[in-house]
Amino acid sequence: MFWGCTIPARFPFLEKSVRTVMDALELPYRDVDGFTCCPEKSLVNNVDHGMWTLTAARNVALADELDVNVVSPCTGCVSNLATVSSDLKSNVAKREEVNGYLKEIGKEFKGKNKLQHLVPFLHDDVGILKIKNALKKNFRGMRFAIHYGCHMMRPSHALRNDDPLDPKKFDNLVNNALGAESMQYMTKLTCCGQGLDRVDQHDTAMDMARVKLRELKSLKADAMVLCCPSCFLQFDNNQFLMERNGEKYNVPVFYITDLIGLGMGYSVEDLGLTSHRVDITPFMEKWHHMECKRDHKEELHDELSSMGTFF
Amino acid sequence: MGLDKTLNFDLLQKCLGCGACYDLCPSSLHIEGYDPRAVIGDILQGEHEKWLEHKSIWQCLECHHCLEICYQHYGFENAMTAMRMLATKKGLNPPQVKRGWEMFAKTGRLGEPAMPARKKLNLPEPAASGKEEFVKLYEIYKKSKEAASEDKGA
Repeated sequence: MFWGCTIPARFPFLEKSVRTVMDALELPYRDVDGFTCCPEKSLVNNVDHGMWTLTAARNVALADELDVNVVSPCTGCVSNLATVSSDLKSNVAKREEVNGYLKEIGKEFKGKNKLQHLVPFLHDDVGILKIKNALKKNFRGMRFAIHYGCHMMRPSHALRNDDPLDPKKFDNLVNNALGAESMQYMTKLTCCGQGLDRVDQHDTAMDMARVKLRELKSLKADAMVLCCPSCFLQFDNNQFLMERNGEKYNVPVFYITDLIGLGMGYSVEDLGLTSHRVDITPFMEKWHHMECKRDHKEELHDELSSMGTFF
Repeated sequence: MGLDKTLNFDLLQKCLGCGACYDLCPSSLHIEGYDPRAVIGDILQGEHEKWLEHKSIWQCLECHHCLEICYQHYGFENAMTAMRMLATKKGLNPPQVKRGWEMFAKTGRLGEPAMPARKKLNLPEPAASGKEEFVKLYEIYKKSKEAASEDKGA
């Protein structure tokens, strides 16, 4: 598991949520000694492209050495590692230069194992059915706005895990594993804009957050569900800053494993949800009052499946 | 530094007449005054200097939407990245980027694990940081770059 910097430093409760769900699904994973920053693109690549490449290559080399696949709950980490990895695999001269440096610390970049974000990992490797079956209560009747997180699937030549302009996997998890409705909304694929907060443009970052929050407020979304600590910072923390100034959107923000965990029966405390800034109480109340009844669609599906009809 | 060494001017010339990515680029859609083709036009005219201190070049969010929709698979993020690198070389990068880089170069990461919160959440000890090896690698890299630039100078 590649945790990155932001989750352990700023949002350890997200780490708690991911670990709780990984453990409950009995997925074998390990922490890796020696992983550094992925490294982050705007703060590192803009200053020194060579060191950006070399640091990512060293991280991948650590996974190579242990012969493990890498999964990260941070979209930025996966995207940066995959971008460098794909670059080095296609550029022999650059790879040799990088490996020249790595040799001096006893490492070698091979890039032979999978690099995946947690969402495609849950979708492809764990499977919708396993997650669905692990839930004690699903989210039928709730409307979730997915925020994809740009770097989960872009750049697609490096990540190759979903359609970069019309992704489906996160939707599949929300619709078919959680049993909720993934809302189709105009700004669904728009970047969160948190990057602006890293380059001294806080006011513009807030404006970018408002683009999505305004739409979701008007559509009465029950929650926003996302898969990246940077997007979480943008929509939970920055929404909270707006609230303090009297600007209310009331859009609770969840990381994907928060909802899987709740459905499995873990409490708000178990999953670290008490650390979220935007109040999740109205969401929890609504969900608790939802009946666990199977709807017509589901009954029809089961009936047809039992007749041997596949979907 | 000539930007024609790092950027493909032929492709950028086509960007000037296209602009398909404006309908997807979050900054073009939502930030007033953000207009990458204005920057690209000046790059092609050799007049990029006037943008180096401009906040526009830091407003590209690197979301890669432009890259994905671009029929040249180029995207104006390439132009913005080249401009940011050039601005950084001249020390014109925003203070936050400078601070971020300094922390990265010293520790190999951008933040230390929040220990009291981890304890409260009953999270395991964080894995070893890799700082020592990272610093060693950075020193080797720096020395090699310095030697290369001295060779060039001589």
